[in-house]
Amino acid sequence: MPNVLIQYEAEIWRAVSETFFMVGVSIIAAVLIGLPIGTYLFLCGKGKLLENRIVYNILNLAVNTIRSFPFLLLVVFLIPFTRLIVGTAIGTVAATIPLSIIAIAHYARLVEQSLLDVPKGVIEAAVSMGASVKRIIFSFLYVEARSGLVLGLTTSIVSFISYSTIMGVVGGGGIGDFAIRYGYQQFKTDLMLYMILIMIILVQLIQLLGTTVARWLDKR
Amino acid sequence: MIQLQQITKKFGTFEAVQNVTLTIENGEIHGLIGASGAGKSTLLRLMNLLEVPDFGAVIINGQQLTELNSAQLREARKSIGMIFQHFHLVANKTVFANVEIALSLANYPKQLRQARVLECLKFVGLEQFAQQYPAQLSGGQKQRVAIARALANEPAVLLCDEPTSALDTNTSAEILRVLQKVNETLGVTIVLVSHELEVVKSICHRATVLDAGQIYETVDLVPTGIKETDHHPQSFVNQLVKGGDGHA
Repeated sequence: MPNVLIQYEAEIWRAVSETFFMVGVSIIAAVLIGLPIGTYLFLCGKGKLLENRIVYNILNLAVNTIRSFPFLLLVVFLIPFTRLIVGTAIGTVAATIPLSIIAIAHYARLVEQSLLDVPKGVIEAAVSMGASVKRIIFSFLYVEARSGLVLGLTTSIVSFISYSTIMGVVGGGGIGDFAIRYGYQQFKTDLMLYMILIMIILVQLIQLLGTTVARWLDKR
Repeated sequence: MIQLQQITKKFGTFEAVQNVTLTIENGEIHGLIGASGAGKSTLLRLMNLLEVPDFGAVIINGQQLTELNSAQLREARKSIGMIFQHFHLVANKTVFANVEIALSLANYPKQLRQARVLECLKFVGLEQFAQQYPAQLSGGQKQRVAIARALANEPAVLLCDEPTSALDTNTSAEILRVLQKVNETLGVTIVLVSHELEVVKSICHRATVLDAGQIYETVDLVPTGIKETDHHPQSFVNQLVKGGDGHA
């Protein structure tokens, strides 16, 4: 192992664990909140089961607004909200708030797009069998869209990792922050390159896992 | 018995079905036929309220569907089977799971589901395909799975929306045989939408001809029977070159 990695091993592990924590929380937020919002966006769309133009427009505007924010400005903009939720705007825990907000909006849109790929006829068949909206969602929509949902989550996770690299501005730490502070600001270019390498390997592994799971789930 | 009373359905300003009154008796195979845009599929979809009429009443076996709330309508739909031109199976579920979902929606006892699914698959001749996925089946097999799914809850009525239109002649004949068997052995009332005259003539006891959203005429028929099909390639050659009837 290169000397520079051995020298900073403890800090690197801490940075990796901070990235995992921030990305992990944002994945949970994306699944628990982004998935229902995306599903509701789909269901409230024109000609869909719960068609509701007002709800659709509100959700659509919210998702688009969050996604159109430059992420650094979103982090700063959300400082009062972050402080309200976790009591501080600084640190790894505080960094998870803006990251979760963007994760929810990002994944909600991908969920909506995945559900739009479900053949209309499958939903029609479900309705003709007397399925409730809840059963249509869980027994038909999610089953039929599952590989798209997994691929969407994979794409989202890769984006979350990218977003997490700038969380150093609020003391969030993580691999990106470590690379800037030690690699760039202290002129340890080799250390920065190793951090970039870690990120590349991480993204490759996540993409490989996501694609493999999606392929395994797809029986179409 | 299916009773449609003065049914009207508009899409925007277009009147797809206009003041249609029609009674379909129990145990009947009733054809709905007409040119494209005549309103036959819309009329069929009005029978289980996939399309909600703007005016009129839909009564199935004494139950007025148009007066039910959404929960009651969901319950009523569980006893009205429906099959579609493009099958509409859940591609990510096995054949077994596709049939089982109908039972699950009707809260059919869990311990009895497996036997019931296999019984339905056996009825359509697909019990050996239970663990396959729809993508592994031919068009005719997919339609038979759809029929098994529609029959799972022992419906009194089976609505068929162009069930043979996406299939070749031989496969169409197979599906029509299955539908005839459903009618004869299970006593299910079948409403069959088709634009193919031969299909309606072969198995229907009565047929309603639709034109521009209105009933042109309802006629009694003596089913001519489903033509024997020949899968031998020579039969295709005969049909192509000699204009024969397909028998080698």
